[in-house]
Amino acid sequence: MRFRYAMVCSSNQNRSMEAHALLKRQGLDVASYGTGSHVKLPGPSLREPNVYDFGTPYKQMFDELRRKDPELYKRNGILQMLKRNLSVKLAPQRWQDNAGDGVFDVVVTFEEKVFDSVLEDLNNREQSLMKTILVMNLEVKDNHEEAAIGGRLALELCQEIEGNESWEDTIDDIVAGFEKQHRRKLVYSISFY
Amino acid sequence: MVGMMASYSRERLEGLLSSAKSATELPPKLHRLRNLRRNLQGDEFVFPTELLPHLFDLLSDQFGAVRKFVVEILGEIGLKYVELLPEIVPLLIKSLKDETPAVARQVIACGADLFRSTLERVAVQRLHSSELNELLESSWTWMIKFKDEICSAAFKQGNSGVKLCAMKFVEALILLYTPDPSGSLQSSSHEGIQADFNISILRGGHPVLNIGDLSIEASQKLGLLLDQLRHPAAKSLNSSTIVVLINSLSSVAKKRPAYCGRILPVLLSLDPLSFLKGVHAAATNLSLKTVFLSCWKCTHPAAAPWKERLIGALKEIEGGGRAGKAKDLFYKTNGSIQDKDSVEDTKVSVEKNPTCASSVVAESNFGRKRSESEYSIDLNGDALSGKRARITPSVSENSSEGLHGNDGGSLTPVTSTSTGPSNSRGVTDTGPVQHLVAMFGTLVAQGVKAIGSLEILIPSISEDMLADVVMANMHNIPSNGSTYGDGTDELVMNMCIVGTDAQIKYPPSFVSAVLSLSTEFPPIAALINPHTPKTENEGEELCADHVDQQMFPAEGTVLATGLSASSDASFPENEECNIVFPPYVHYTGNIESGIPGLDSSAQHDVLSEALVTSVLDSTDVETASKNHISSFSGKLLVDVVPSVSVDKSEEFSPKAAGTGSDSLVLSTATSVASAPQFVLPKISAPVVDLSDEEKDSLQNLVFLRIVEAYKQISVSGGSQLRFSLLAHLGVEFPSELDPWKILQEHVLSDYLNHEGHELTVRVLYRLYGEAEAEQDFFSSTTAASAYESFLLTVAEALRDSFPPSDKSLSKLLGDSPFLPKSVLKLLESLCCPGSGDKVEKDLQSGDRVTQGLSAVWSLILMRPGIRNDCLKIALQSAVHHLEEIRMRAIRLVANRLYSLSFITQQIEEFAKEKLFSVVSCISSEREDAETLNDDCKQVLTCTPKQFIFGVDLDTSSEATSLTSVTEAQRCLSLYFALCTKKHSLFVHVFSIYKNTSKPVKQAIHHQIPILVRTMGSSSELLKIIADPPSGSENLLMQVLQTLTEGPMPSSELILTIRKLFDTRIKDVEILFPILPFLPRDDVLRIFPHLVNLPMEKFQVALSRVLQGSSQSGQVLSPSEALIAIHSIDPARDGIPLKQVTDACNTCFAQRQTFTQQVLAGVLNQLVQQIPLPMLFMRTVLQAIGAFPALSDFILEILSRLVSKQIWKYPKLWVGFLKCAQSTQPQSYKVLLQLPPPQLGNALTKISALRAPLTAYASQPEIQSSLPRSTLAVLGLVPDSQGTQTSQVQVSQEQVQASQEQQHASESQQTTQSQQVSVPLSHSEPEHQETSQVVASQSQSSPIGTGRSEMSQSQSSPVATGRSEMSQSQSSPVATGRSEMSQSQSSPVATGRSEMSQSQSSPVATGRSEMSQSQSSPVATGRSEMSQSQSSPVATCWSEMSQSQSSPINNGQSEMSQTQVSDSDPPAPTSHTRISDSQASSEMQPDDEKIDDTATTENETTEIEKSRESSAEEGEDEEEEEEEEE
Repeated sequence: MRFRYAMVCSSNQNRSMEAHALLKRQGLDVASYGTGSHVKLPGPSLREPNVYDFGTPYKQMFDELRRKDPELYKRNGILQMLKRNLSVKLAPQRWQDNAGDGVFDVVVTFEEKVFDSVLEDLNNREQSLMKTILVMNLEVKDNHEEAAIGGRLALELCQEIEGNESWEDTIDDIVAGFEKQHRRKLVYSISFY
Repeated sequence: MVGMMASYSRERLEGLLSSAKSATELPPKLHRLRNLRRNLQGDEFVFPTELLPHLFDLLSDQFGAVRKFVVEILGEIGLKYVELLPEIVPLLIKSLKDETPAVARQVIACGADLFRSTLERVAVQRLHSSELNELLESSWTWMIKFKDEICSAAFKQGNSGVKLCAMKFVEALILLYTPDPSGSLQSSSHEGIQADFNISILRGGHPVLNIGDLSIEASQKLGLLLDQLRHPAAKSLNSSTIVVLINSLSSVAKKRPAYCGRILPVLLSLDPLSFLKGVHAAATNLSLKTVFLSCWKCTHPAAAPWKERLIGALKEIEGGGRAGKAKDLFYKTNGSIQDKDSVEDTKVSVEKNPTCASSVVAESNFGRKRSESEYSIDLNGDALSGKRARITPSVSENSSEGLHGNDGGSLTPVTSTSTGPSNSRGVTDTGPVQHLVAMFGTLVAQGVKAIGSLEILIPSISEDMLADVVMANMHNIPSNGSTYGDGTDELVMNMCIVGTDAQIKYPPSFVSAVLSLSTEFPPIAALINPHTPKTENEGEELCADHVDQQMFPAEGTVLATGLSASSDASFPENEECNIVFPPYVHYTGNIESGIPGLDSSAQHDVLSEALVTSVLDSTDVETASKNHISSFSGKLLVDVVPSVSVDKSEEFSPKAAGTGSDSLVLSTATSVASAPQFVLPKISAPVVDLSDEEKDSLQNLVFLRIVEAYKQISVSGGSQLRFSLLAHLGVEFPSELDPWKILQEHVLSDYLNHEGHELTVRVLYRLYGEAEAEQDFFSSTTAASAYESFLLTVAEALRDSFPPSDKSLSKLLGDSPFLPKSVLKLLESLCCPGSGDKVEKDLQSGDRVTQGLSAVWSLILMRPGIRNDCLKIALQSAVHHLEEIRMRAIRLVANRLYSLSFITQQIEEFAKEKLFSVVSCISSEREDAETLNDDCKQVLTCTPKQFIFGVDLDTSSEATSLTSVTEAQRCLSLYFALCTKKHSLFVHVFSIYKNTSKPVKQAIHHQIPILVRTMGSSSELLKIIADPPSGSENLLMQVLQTLTEGPMPSSELILTIRKLFDTRIKDVEILFPILPFLPRDDVLRIFPHLVNLPMEKFQVALSRVLQGSSQSGQVLSPSEALIAIHSIDPARDGIPLKQVTDACNTCFAQRQTFTQQVLAGVLNQLVQQIPLPMLFMRTVLQAIGAFPALSDFILEILSRLVSKQIWKYPKLWVGFLKCAQSTQPQSYKVLLQLPPPQLGNALTKISALRAPLTAYASQPEIQSSLPRSTLAVLGLVPDSQGTQTSQVQVSQEQVQASQEQQHASESQQTTQSQQVSVPLSHSEPEHQETSQVVASQSQSSPIGTGRSEMSQSQSSPVATGRSEMSQSQSSPVATGRSEMSQSQSSPVATGRSEMSQSQSSPVATGRSEMSQSQSSPVATGRSEMSQSQSSPVATCWSEMSQSQSSPINNGQSEMSQTQVSDSDPPAPTSHTRISDSQASSEMQPDDEKIDDTATTENETTEIEKSRESSAEEGEDEEEEEEEEE
């Protein structure tokens, strides 16, 4: 069964993009989003973050940061991350602003806050299609290492779901199996389009 | 053309369809169908009905995907062509049971769309025409069937995917069938935008659709949904179903708040944990939480009563976490408003100047009003009991929303505003309070008459109750007019001014009473008369009127009027309601103020253009308010209204509730029991445009002001709570403005008085929580950095501003939640100030280090998390290059940390690493390996001496190595410190010692004494000593040295060292330290080894042996030592003869110890040994050289030697002759005692003797006493062979005689010397001569060097000797003599002085021997005398005399026996014998006998053997001596 997946984190930079890149490489139909109000990247000092609007191309960020302080951003892995991202898609997208992207079957979020935002947004949308959407939350800390792990877990999860004709009947087992195998908590909810 | 197109398309479509049908593969089928669909979507296209059958056929296609797609297409067609529905729907119904869930789901999805659109069409058509299209009607009936099918799918067990969709359908159905209360009033019937469809358009009546029926059905369906969630049923559901159910219900509850009353109880009672496990519970919980949160946010009045329970449930779900957050969220928003208001307030108060521009005043008024309303609410929230506090959020939220609405300028929200606050009022069930409020109201309403009762009443109420009453009335404060901002006086004034006619009626006394009351209870005052007609603009006035009317209607206003004004004829239900309640309403109307009728009528006035639907809304509100009143009055008059509203209506079945949806709403509302009590006036927002900078500076000012206020906090107390607030405030403050800096300044300006520690810790915890909680990349890092810089700044400031003894820093570090790296670095710099650091210059740097170290210590103890880091700091400090710092750190590490079991290992490893690093790095530092080795050797060789003599090692080391010595010490001292704690570690010092460089060795030696002294001779140390690694001998020596320095070394230690000597280390030096403590036997046993040492070492050993320990006294007496030296047989002991002679020389060099008496005693003893010791004659010669005064004694010895046939020992014979030569002329007598052949031999050997001897012998009295043969040898008589041989016997006898004679003459001589000094002085030059001769002789021999040394060293004792002499002799004669001796050459003087000092003891003893043989009385007297003198000499003498007697009696063989016996038994025996002989002379014979028997028992063979060997040895010795010469 071909499902459409969405990976969502707060800035659509690290965790969701990691998963996006991974799932994409595995040939899954996937998109990624962020739910924050802005895209924030660490800056030279902690008081001076780099703030971008959603929709700013990764390439642009990449060039800008590389111009600013190549050493710093190489050291904290931002440049590498952006490079990865720009090979995946053009720009970070905001979940709330991209309702028009069509119907997803499965949404994986990486943070409870994001999970809640996605659900809230879905509930605020007109639910007329009678189409179920599975929203799952997998807690992943926002750093490069954890993101890599989280991406693999998300892939595994999605492949598991992909293997089913309809997840509605099996979701409980999938979740239970996943939790047991990876010892990670997985929360899901079901919403409608 | 169109027709052509159509036909063409139709054909084409038919083609597509048929080809799709015929295709056997899925992809082409789908492709064709997609094409078909694209074509169908054209707008102007008319659908050819003929195609339908084809499509229907496809519905039974083998592929699920195709079926699904066809359903999709059919759905689209159905949407467009309602008339086709009767054909399509049956098939869809059939497809609903398709085995592929996706198809079924698609059917439901289509169904939903179709149903909605159809319903809309049906509903809308009525608006346009009274008749309903038949086609549409049939479609609708089909749709209803379809709907029923889907609904049944929703409520039965089955494929959950389908079920989920079906449930969603039901939800949509419910929503469709019930009016949307929040739906926009201009509900357009615009097709396609289904969201805007609202069933309320059917209110006008509809032929087919009855709004009541619809809502009943909706209600039924809802009931079914709810039933599924009820306890038993829910168990059989899977969690996804539950999740969807909950979500659906929540959306219903949100969109149709009227149903809250039914839905929420079920949800609230749903306890997923009770019947779900694991994942399922989690998912369910989560959706529940979401639902509760969204419901909680819902502003609809129907939801209001549930908020409390919702928060409770949320808390339950999340352990309070989320709910708390929600509340936080609320307070945050609320607080921010308040903040802004207070900003304005401040501004106002600052600029409270009458000359202010009126606009400003107006603005501030607005601001104040708003703030006041907030205040009242807040006060409420603060002061009310917890239960009520929970309600306040809803109040203020609503009110703020109301404000918002007002800002917008639209009046419609007023309704909601008026309803909002009422909820809170309605829900409050603080019965007695309301009771009281009402009573006050009544009393006040009565006017003057009530003053008395008021006065009685108020004091009788408890304070708490009064407070509650005040709080309860806070709601009622009208927002206009009376303001707190202006102060109470103004309020009162206002009230006075504001009076209505009612006020005018009252006499002044009452007014003042009321006023006094009102100052106490402003709300009541407000209740009485808050009317403020002035200064309101139009809109506000209207609003105010509205409020006033609502709150303070004219007395006696009957409800009926309100009803008649408000009720719409088209709503019979409304009237029904009214009918139900009138009595209470009527009654309450008199007491209370809220008259819904007026309210709604006012609204109607304003909203004249409002649509019918909005009327419904207003009626809702109206009824609600009525209900509130009823409930209120119900509480007031409990008897009258027992049970109207308090019940929750969740269980109301729709039928029971009433006839229509309105009634349902009503029933819900009844439970809500709300009344409009509190209305905020419409306020145009006082918008002041501030630039960003201004805003920032304002915020800063505010914050500063708050912080300033905290300076007084400590006085007022309660700082604990307030600090948390401040910290929280800092977090909320925009970070650009850097609130932390302000806080820091505050904290640091007076750390102690501002409770800086507490505040800092609060702030840190807050920030830490922030940093940890936020998972967001950015904010967490921001908080973390704020945390870090805050902590660091404070810590640095503490460090710099407080004395090192202060514990604040340590406490702060201990209490902070987390220590970032920078802080650890700070600690590190404190503990290990780097070189060139300014801290170093600080005089207190040492104390700083202690401060840092103690902080580190406490951190290590209390914070396992950073234990390693802290330990690292401490350890680094422990190898710091500055000794002071290092020592402090080492004290900490060794004394405090090392005992902590969890870090012992680490410390040990670190120290060990440093220890080993010393070997590798320092030695590698020096590249010149050769010089290094040389150096090392030098050290090795000189070290023992150095340490023994206490020479400071550093002085001898080069300057270059000094640095590395300190470096080595830097690395080693920690380890040494640990060694004192754990002695077994010490072994590593031994093991590395071998490979270390010179400076390291120096460093080690430097530390060892202290270290070892601290350690003592513990068992571990002994173990190490017992088995020292090779190469560590020097170290071992020092250790032993140190160990034995103390009082008395333990027996274990001595045992260990001896064992070590016996087994491993043959170097006798190791025994040096314990020499004084060894038993005598052992010392004698090892004595040859000692002699074998280089001279200086032997000296040391000797001095130790002689000195002994303080307890046991000397181990060996000097004479014993000397005898021991002589008893060494070079051949047997394998010691070069030179060593032995050197040893003798050494002894002679120490004239203090080896005095004349000692020598005499020794010689006396030695002369009795058989055979004579090899070096005997040499010693005699030396003795003469050293002590010329001994010459008489020596002559006696010589004569004894003659009797012992000294010529039989060739070597000694030479020595004898030398001795005789050196002691001439006294020795002539002895020489003459020699048998003639030996005499001849002697004279030939030393021809120089011949002449003087002959001259001496030629003296008549002597010549006469000499045998002829002797004279013949001398050439005084002609030689004859016969006489010579015959005279042998005689000469022997003569020898004896001459001996006796000699004795006699000697004694005579000595007495002479005693009596007269002149002859002695006469003999002096002779002595001098002899000594010179000896010297010259020795110089010629190879041993000369030793001799010369000796003679050199002789120069010093002379002076002392002389001084002794002068001391002992007090007579004037003696002094004179001493003076004389001073002028003379030194050796002579010594000789004499010693002589006189010792009073010629040997002579005395000699006499004692004699006395034995002589008559007793004299002997006793003499022996006593000898006893009183130095004892050893005397005893030796006596023994000698005994042994001397034996050879004479028993002959030669006996003599050899005694030799054996002498050599075999160890020294002590002879010693005891001596003491015995001392004790009593009678015992001596017995002892002698025992000895004799012992010796006779020996086998003769043995004796012979020994004799032979001794002869051989003698030969060997001879050879050796010759070689040496």
